[in-house]
Amino acid sequence: MSRRRSRSYAEVSKLGAFLRRDVLVRLSYRTAILSDWFNLFAQAFVFSFVSKLIDPSRIPTSGGGRATYIAFVSVGIAVSGFMAVGLARLVAAVRQEQFMGTLESVMVTPTTASTILLGSVIYDMIYVPIRTVIFLVIVSIWFNVSFAASGYVPALLILAAFIPFVWGIGSVASACVLTFRRGSGVIGFGTFALTFTSGAYFPIGLFPHWVETLAGLNPIAVAITGMREQLLGGAGWADAAGVLAKLVPMSAVSLLLGLYAFRLAMRRERRLGTLGLY
Amino acid sequence: MYVAGIDVAADAMSVRRKIGFFPSGDRTFYQRISGIENLTFFGRLNGISRGDAMRRAERRLADVGLADAGRQRVGLYSHGMQKRLSMARALLMDPAVLVVDEATDGLDPEGARRVQDLVSSAAADGAAVVWTTQRLDEIRGFADAVTVLDQGRTTFQGTVEDLMLKSTARGYVLRLRAAPDADLEGAGLERAAAAIAGRGTLARAGGDREHFRLDLEQRAVLGEVLADLAAAGAVVLDCAQQRSELEESFLRLTTPRT
Repeated sequence: MSRRRSRSYAEVSKLGAFLRRDVLVRLSYRTAILSDWFNLFAQAFVFSFVSKLIDPSRIPTSGGGRATYIAFVSVGIAVSGFMAVGLARLVAAVRQEQFMGTLESVMVTPTTASTILLGSVIYDMIYVPIRTVIFLVIVSIWFNVSFAASGYVPALLILAAFIPFVWGIGSVASACVLTFRRGSGVIGFGTFALTFTSGAYFPIGLFPHWVETLAGLNPIAVAITGMREQLLGGAGWADAAGVLAKLVPMSAVSLLLGLYAFRLAMRRERRLGTLGLY
Repeated sequence: MYVAGIDVAADAMSVRRKIGFFPSGDRTFYQRISGIENLTFFGRLNGISRGDAMRRAERRLADVGLADAGRQRVGLYSHGMQKRLSMARALLMDPAVLVVDEATDGLDPEGARRVQDLVSSAAADGAAVVWTTQRLDEIRGFADAVTVLDQGRTTFQGTVEDLMLKSTARGYVLRLRAAPDADLEGAGLERAAAAIAGRGTLARAGGDREHFRLDLEQRAVLGEVLADLAAAGAVVLDCAQQRSELEESFLRLTTPRT
């Protein structure tokens, strides 16, 4: 095995250490886990009542069929929740290390900045998609929403292609927080703008035409629409391929940009010796 | 710049493998998990397997006297225990270079001695130790070489003894009592002060009747001044430098901060 390859293997094997650390830390906050699930279902519960006010004819068709509002919105809640939780935890992961004073100790180990960044979010990158799937399964049982079985695998693939986008945006946000110390407000506004115009809660058709046009460039909207087509309409592999063809380049750009921004921020902090300041 | 024979600019990662770091901060561990889990985590970030990391962690916990507390959450550790855990982490990989930043800050004398003993033992095993401190007296009989930095510039390099020689300590605290046929009040004190005039000044220090502050001029000889005070009716019970030589030297070598 070449030296470079064995070093890459060594870096990857460190992710297990991050994962174990975060599982142990999260398990020590059991109330937080319970309240996260409570909030998720409370949101679905509220929307189940809202759905009674909405005329099903206003809901756009998915895969040729028309779904109920609760079916429509549950996919939106799942994906936007995935985005919000993933992003918040990405930013919080590095920030929390700074607050706890552990970031400096981690940074002096022979571990690359990319491994530290990935390691800081590996738990969430596994937990949040599982949370999304479990949410959709429970909603389908609780609110009697029937998802198309043929759409499960393509929808999962779309979700998987969406993960690097969230990671990339989160990395840019982490880099901003490392550099400017504050900035969660700007990040929150950006997330809101992207999520609001993604059609997570309302059909994109209700927005002005220009928002509808922009939504085609919004990866959250692409992911949500793609997953709805699969889960509510069973649109099939051809449709999924079209969605992936759009989503994968967006995710790749986001991820590369995020890693670059984070490395730059880390390098700057190391040079200035201000890594421990917050 | 080279550390342990490795060019820092060319191969920073290899340099980090050679360094054990003891940070100055108080909370540099994950408070919600145990001491042994913390050490194992940092061991794995150094590239060793979980099993190896656990074995090393257990050994180092025993070395720092935390074997029994290893499975407790770090959040339950006292300040001194967290410092010792920090030392266990710094020594975990048997580093060639140990960088220790304010290790004894906030520790009681026994805790500080314990940390110093651990570092001395690592040095005896061949580690090069860089110990940064603001508590100057702790380097006496402990450091082989001293570097004083002032605003990023080196103002002294040498042994502890050489540093002490930089001292021009001239302030003393005396404990005096009046001889049976004399007094140290009013005129008596003036008489004692006059006996050493030109070589130093004597004034009361503190609220009691026994403590005095003696400030000597540069060329005055302490022994002669004390003898003259005794001749003027003062029994010298004790004489201590107001600041240690190391502290005096440090103050001489650094810019006063406002």
